[in-house]
Amino acid sequence: MSSYNLAAQGGGNIFLIPNATFFVELAIFLIVLGVIWRYVVPPVKRMMNERQEMIRQQIQESQQASERLAQAEARYSEALAQARVEAAKIRESARADAQQIRDELREQAEQEVARIRERGEEQLATQREQVVRELRGELGTLAVTLAERIIGDSVADEGRRAGTVDRFLDELQGMAAPDSAPQEDSAPQEDKAPQSSSAPQEDSAAEAVSVSPGRRRR
Amino acid sequence: MSERVLAAGGGGVQVGEHPTWHVWGLTINADTVISTALAAVIVVGIGLYLAAKASSGVPSKLQVAFEAVTDQVERQVQSNVGIRTAPFVVPLAVTLFFFILISNWLAILPHAWEQRVGPPTADVNLTFALAFFVIILVHVTGIRVNGKHYFKHFTQPYAAMLPLNIIEELSKPITLALRLFGNILAGGVMVSVLALLPAAVSWLPTSAWKLFDLFIGLLQALIFALLTIIYFGFAVGDQEDAQEEGAR
Repeated sequence: MSSYNLAAQGGGNIFLIPNATFFVELAIFLIVLGVIWRYVVPPVKRMMNERQEMIRQQIQESQQASERLAQAEARYSEALAQARVEAAKIRESARADAQQIRDELREQAEQEVARIRERGEEQLATQREQVVRELRGELGTLAVTLAERIIGDSVADEGRRAGTVDRFLDELQGMAAPDSAPQEDSAPQEDKAPQSSSAPQEDSAAEAVSVSPGRRRR
Repeated sequence: MSERVLAAGGGGVQVGEHPTWHVWGLTINADTVISTALAAVIVVGIGLYLAAKASSGVPSKLQVAFEAVTDQVERQVQSNVGIRTAPFVVPLAVTLFFFILISNWLAILPHAWEQRVGPPTADVNLTFALAFFVIILVHVTGIRVNGKHYFKHFTQPYAAMLPLNIIEELSKPITLALRLFGNILAGGVMVSVLALLPAAVSWLPTSAWKLFDLFIGLLQALIFALLTIIYFGFAVGDQEDAQEEGAR
């Protein structure tokens, strides 16, 4: 139907058949193709390749960076763990030191205590010695005085008096010696000592008195 | 009915009518040549501008578009032909795509200029020129790559298929050319028909149609470039089969 129209207006031109324009068109296209082929595609492709290369490099770098980051993190956590272990070790050794110091101090204190106690006992012993020595001096005269007063007779005989006193003191010593062996009961011992010493003293005095009648009987 | 309308339009719609030059006894369609030259200048101008401005850094939008097309074409060529077998197919297909695209998009020029510039692809002279050029190149490539084996594919799968295969090969450039031509010509005819409407009404469908025409133009450029690659693929793909057969 349109061909009728065309026929009426264009004078039988069949437009599906190319005419000489074909060659002009072909030439123009070849020019375009040549220009694009030679001057446009290569530089753009080169740029594309460069950019791809760049992107590849960047990806690589970022991978490397993340690897390094992971390594650093690993190192950090390792160092942290090490530090924790070390801290624990230090704490442990500090505790051990403290224990040692405490032990040492306790030992020292105990030694001190022991030493002080020893010295106190020594002192005590010396004092007792002294007391005994004093007693030794005084007791004789006291006993003699007492005996003289009781028997009304002078026991001035030096030999007998000394014998009596020595015997008495030996007895006294014999009583005190077993008591002094346990050192802890020094205070009760001191309490006991005068008692025990006073009892034999009276006994010996009584003995001395009882002896005296015998001698008086004679 | 449309015939009556066309006839009543006082020559409103003319199909295949071209102002002509006569050179050395040859008839040359003046408007097609002018339009083609315009499209060529635009394509070459954009291309050279792009090449001058191209950078491996942040690309311009134009460069991105060009690179996208080139990249896509390269991928197609790689999967259909093999870049190493026929590396020249890439610039050819890229040029075809952009040249046809710009030619088609000349349709957005005012309808009143039709006698001087319009889409040159609405003339069979350009589309035949492109299609025959492509097909000849396809066959040349096929022969150059495959040698004598290339002609074997005319007798595949049976020797009796020879006539059909010959017809198929002959129809390739014709369909390639006429598909493009028909689509673009139809777009122009549609605008011509719409132009018969009163101007107060016609602007809306004309604008809508021209937008759609741009889409058609893009699609046809794409199809032409893609088919070119596929035809190259056929021509070269036979070679691989032949080589495999030879190896057996």
